Amino acid sequence: MTYNDLTPTPDADSKPFWEGCRNHELLFQKCAECGEIRWPPGILCPRCHSQEVEMVQSGGKGTIYSYVIYHQPFHPEFADKVPYVVAIVELEEGPMLITNIVECPHESLACDMPVQVHWDDVSEECTLPKFRPA
Amino acid sequence: MLDAGICNYVVITYGHSALWGGGMAQMLFQMTRNEAAFGHFGAVGGYALAARRAMHEFGTGPGTWQRIASGQRKWAALNPISVMGKKPLAEEDYFKAPMAADPFRLVDICLVSDGGRAIIVTSAERARDLRQPAVLISGMGQQNPSREIGQARYMAGPTGAKKAGKEALQMADVSLKDVDACQIYDCFSYTVEITLQDYGFFGPGEGGDWLKGGTIEPGGSMPVNTSGGQLSEAYFMGLTPIAEAVMQLRGQCGDRQLGPQTQTKPPEVILASDNGGILQSHACFVLKKG
Repeated sequence: MTYNDLTPTPDADSKPFWEGCRNHELLFQKCAECGEIRWPPGILCPRCHSQEVEMVQSGGKGTIYSYVIYHQPFHPEFADKVPYVVAIVELEEGPMLITNIVECPHESLACDMPVQVHWDDVSEECTLPKFRPA
Repeated sequence: MLDAGICNYVVITYGHSALWGGGMAQMLFQMTRNEAAFGHFGAVGGYALAARRAMHEFGTGPGTWQRIASGQRKWAALNPISVMGKKPLAEEDYFKAPMAADPFRLVDICLVSDGGRAIIVTSAERARDLRQPAVLISGMGQQNPSREIGQARYMAGPTGAKKAGKEALQMADVSLKDVDACQIYDCFSYTVEITLQDYGFFGPGEGGDWLKGGTIEPGGSMPVNTSGGQLSEAYFMGLTPIAEAVMQLRGQCGDRQLGPQTQTKPPEVILASDNGGILQSHACFVLKKG
């Protein structure tokens, strides 16, 4: 299994998000009825069950809700990448993304620390939204 | 089903060749399929995220978890079939253990085990006629705050344990003061802390003090995970804690039996827990001597 096998496989719901990433845009579904910006993407608004949806672009700014520093590779593809940081980033618009924190010394990491999006074009087909200190 | 007469006995089993079969790794890998590109795999990273948030919100950390991991290891030493019982885990051993997914060290993480457990549930009346001493389910509660875990705000509690614990105690008509021991689902050391905290044994961040002086160990006032638990005996999902609770109430636990020989209260009431996902579902049982 190669790294490319680990990249997300977009489905009908998540395709606009991952296509947006390739253009370096963070696009989220916003309920046209109640205004809820939702993540993960889906066919229904989890708050009001409306199917009416519009796309909104996030400014890419947020804070670290929590983070973990992987010292053990749980997959051979990450053997030469440890130690690396996985975090939940809470965007200003609301969604919380599982992502990586890059360009940040590990001793400076903290919950609630401000971060901004940092695009990583990992292949022709896939760009991952990662984050670095704001 | 038992009440309705549909059946007389229900066998609940768990068996797995997790060590050599690889099924557990596969299941955990599926759990984080969409996050694999970021190097986020399985349950360790998810619970580590929860534990880190708890460190931030109420000031817990490795100092608290060491008391849980080392305390359970002392129980494991009294259990001849425990996997880790022969390997002591003093405070300095804990802090020397390799970091797995910071803030978790290897010793904060449960075992992967080959084996299984089973329990048989029947009516109290039938149970009293059977060969083994009866144990009664006198309360149960369940709470599933399940949602996409990345969106969860309950990583530092209150988790499902809060409502599930309250419901189970109410149904059994007992309070925490009546509980003689706990068998807590311990996929990670932090899971034990947040579960006991949400049950109300101590306030947020007071776990370190509550655990001080061997509270959960042999000789302690509230023994927890008396087989060594999933951290030190073996991992059989929810059946590790439940089976131990039943065997303790029956008085069948040999050297680790609660009572005078381990300088603990002879057990009448034991609280047992289970949880699933990344703190996404929780079940609590109050078990009583039959």
